[in-house]
Amino acid sequence: MSQDSKLLIPLHVSYVQSLGENKDDLTYHLTAHLRMNAIYWGLTALCVMGHKDALNREEMIDFVMSCWDEEAGAFGAHPDHDAHILATLSAIQILVMQDALDRLDIPRVVKFILSLQQPSGVFAGDAFGEIDTRFTYCAINALSLLGRLSELDVNKTVDYFSKCRNFDGGFGSTIGAESHAAQVWVCVAALAILDRLDIVDQETLAWWLAERQLSNGGLNGRPEKLEDVCYSHWVLSSLAILRKLSWIDSEKLEAFILSAQDSEGGGIADRPGDMVDVFHTVFGVAGLSLLGYPGLVDLDPVYCMPAGVIEDLGLRKDWQALPRRT
Amino acid sequence: MHNVKRQSRSAIEARKAREKSQLDTFLALTDDVLRRKKSQDYSQEAFDVTTRIVRINPEFYTVWNYRRNILIKNVFPSSSPEEIFNLLVSELMLTMQALQAHPKVYWIWNHRRWCLERIPDGPGVPAEHDHEADAQGNDSPAADPAGWRKRCWSEEMRAVEKMLDKDARNFHAWSYRRYVLANSPTSRPLSSELAYTMRKIESNFSNFSAWHQRSKIYSKLWEDASSEEVRKAKETEFELVRNAMYTDPDDQSVWMYHRWLIGPGHDTEILNRESSVIQELLDEQPDSKWCMESLVHYKRLLLKNRRHEGQESSAVPESSLDALVDECLSLLTQLQTVDSARRKRYADIANDIASDRP
Ligand SMILES: [Zn+2]
Repeated sequence: MSQDSKLLIPLHVSYVQSLGENKDDLTYHLTAHLRMNAIYWGLTALCVMGHKDALNREEMIDFVMSCWDEEAGAFGAHPDHDAHILATLSAIQILVMQDALDRLDIPRVVKFILSLQQPSGVFAGDAFGEIDTRFTYCAINALSLLGRLSELDVNKTVDYFSKCRNFDGGFGSTIGAESHAAQVWVCVAALAILDRLDIVDQETLAWWLAERQLSNGGLNGRPEKLEDVCYSHWVLSSLAILRKLSWIDSEKLEAFILSAQDSEGGGIADRPGDMVDVFHTVFGVAGLSLLGYPGLVDLDPVYCMPAGVIEDLGLRKDWQALPRRT
Repeated sequence: MHNVKRQSRSAIEARKAREKSQLDTFLALTDDVLRRKKSQDYSQEAFDVTTRIVRINPEFYTVWNYRRNILIKNVFPSSSPEEIFNLLVSELMLTMQALQAHPKVYWIWNHRRWCLERIPDGPGVPAEHDHEADAQGNDSPAADPAGWRKRCWSEEMRAVEKMLDKDARNFHAWSYRRYVLANSPTSRPLSSELAYTMRKIESNFSNFSAWHQRSKIYSKLWEDASSEEVRKAKETEFELVRNAMYTDPDDQSVWMYHRWLIGPGHDTEILNRESSVIQELLDEQPDSKWCMESLVHYKRLLLKNRRHEGQESSAVPESSLDALVDECLSLLTQLQTVDSARRKRYADIANDIASDRP
């Protein structure tokens, strides 16, 4: 048990490094549609743990570029997969973190992103038109990283967010949808990038977010649901943006995240005893960084990227994490 | 990955060995489909390959896209409305099967919407051909010029209810339900949706998704209602929530819905009445966090109202404000012990209240 009370950094680093070696596993291939996201998650986890160089930079950039969909002018999740805004944001985030934006045809990708905005203000994920506030966040984050936010119709965009706001202070995926912590994060972070947090009922929302913590220390995503490590990022990042991280019990949450580590193979799971994956690994590590866990690199809760990278771009917003402990 | 128990190394190796032939099949199918897609093969054969793939892996969004492109570019242009109708009905069946196994995969829900929106209007004329009448299943709707569409959209309500019977909190299913309600060619009275949320709540008070839906339906209903109608409906809701609170005072869904009913709390009479109801429950359950938390919230609204009245008439004695402040502060002190995870929040609120003290 004492092993569980510490973040097993070397083990998690080798876990992330080994992810590409599972090509004999059906699960690896069944998740090809998430490959670009997985690389972004892996790289971000490594950056936060201070081991950015554990994955080969050139190989990574080459892979990203091999996912370019020439017809659409954006990225798919995997070579020969169709362009989608989810993969496109991850690709841009990777290129920014690897300081390789010079490889990108910025005007074309900006055109793709802007083409996805609907008359209501929300964004579609691709040309087939599924809409979701997640996709709006992807668009805003990407445009901001590319320095092209000025091309966005901000009022129209903010208007749609305000229509997704619920009485509990939270936000849903579309107008009328129930508040959900992941959806709250994308909306709050997008509004933070646009400097429009004024439309958020901050006191009510921070209350709703604080009520996500359960007696076992973990966080859930909606009332009366189970805890899950990935909410460590969504709830905590939202609270950090609202500067209310102190409204939950950070010690108990930290213990919960650490208890979901696989102390043999590395990686973090949704809950203790479950199978690990890179998604819960990055969001667990991200949560620990915001909680001030010793030795970790600061995470920017708005962009979910290393804080230093965002600061260098001059994009840092007024969020607040807990002080880094030594 | 969610809710998958960790496996030992040997169990993983055994699983890999078991899945070896599945893996080979899937990789061959993937190669085949991506090659065909690249060469713009929109044939029936290509369509059949996409069927095999999405049955194995419904997350493969590129294959769903390709499938739709085959329909748009090749199948639809050369098909009669009836053929399109039959084909889309089989797509709806395919996605329903996929949703049974993968109820939370966005791409399946997305494909289902796309198909539903493309159902042709309907036979338009009374069925002349026997096989058309057969496809209709029963007699009269064949004559309705929008019969196909209407039938499919109302079938969707049954389909989504089946999904919500399996998981009453599935937010994909709830979103889809709102989408069908908003876009169906046959409109359904809002009162029947209220009745549906009631059934869901009665089978489980903790179902906040149903409470949420109820708040949305009422908000819509009240847009055109008289203030007396709104008042009456709210009274019934307060009654319902009161029962739920007494049944399980720890269930936050109920308290959140109560907070929605109170809203900004401009009605001091209701605020006072609800506060005393909660106070009674607190007297029975002296450690109830939600009783205390809600009381603090409602007392703060009362404070706000009284300050506001005081500004207008200077009729509110300061001592009554003082008493309210003291009650809040005492509850907040207790909350810091009862609900210590959130003690900082209670301390912050106490500071705010104390610094506002006249
Ligand atoms: Zn999770």
